[in-house]
Amino acid sequence: MKFSNYSDKHMYKYKASKETGAKSWVFQRITGLALVVFMIGHYILMHYQPESGKTYEAVLYRMQFSWYRIIDLTFVTLGIYHGFNGLWGIFRDYDMKPWLKITIISIILIAGLAFLVWGYNIIFSIPYIN
Amino acid sequence: MEEKKIKFFEQKNWIKENLSYYKDSGSWAWIYHRISGIALLLYIFMHIWSLSPLTSGKEAFEHKMAMYSTPVFSVIEWLLFAIVLFHSLNGIRIVLVDWADGARYHKKLYKLTWIVGIVLFLAMGFVMFSHEIFKLFR
Repeated sequence: MKFSNYSDKHMYKYKASKETGAKSWVFQRITGLALVVFMIGHYILMHYQPESGKTYEAVLYRMQFSWYRIIDLTFVTLGIYHGFNGLWGIFRDYDMKPWLKITIISIILIAGLAFLVWGYNIIFSIPYIN
Repeated sequence: MEEKKIKFFEQKNWIKENLSYYKDSGSWAWIYHRISGIALLLYIFMHIWSLSPLTSGKEAFEHKMAMYSTPVFSVIEWLLFAIVLFHSLNGIRIVLVDWADGARYHKKLYKLTWIVGIVLFLAMGFVMFSHEIFKLFR
């Protein structure tokens, strides 16, 4: 049974679909899948033992490893990107005047970047102890 | 030949339109995905906010964490896991629909989302509260 006469090859021929968010659509899926993997690790780490997420020592210990910081920074980045891109995806479902579009995109971008800086700042503020 | 009247979606009455629109599993999945997505974005904000005392050291952080270590809060955390689970599993379903010909089996996937979700939710409940349960008998 065939649902469509268009093959994937044909679909990509339409220039419009390339320029109306196709990239963010792909990124949304890739970051989503990555976040599932990160989230499994996050949950095992945070809930397998009740102490691991809620004591300062545990956090400080993990943060001594630069690779852990890199994972954390990636997690924050992907999560915020996915969240704000998703939020923009919701708005994009509705018909908007250009000025409203620009306003909403600006708010989302500024809020997203502020979130990122905030999150990074927390991670970087945790000291390395020798 | 008579022209068929096509009912278009009225954006102005979007609440009423959404409520009266016929919904099958895919529509519900879409609605839940959206709601859980917004909830998770709000949660990321709360999450970063609640971790922000890390910048002011041990005492500030543990003072804040004491609030989150109560049983009531653990239950809320467990419910948060339900939202994370649904969004994750349905997200996988969406990727399969888009990239793995899932349009042919998306209804089965939706059922599977709920079955796997409920199983993992209960399993997480055991993992999270087993400590509490063991404490009661100590």
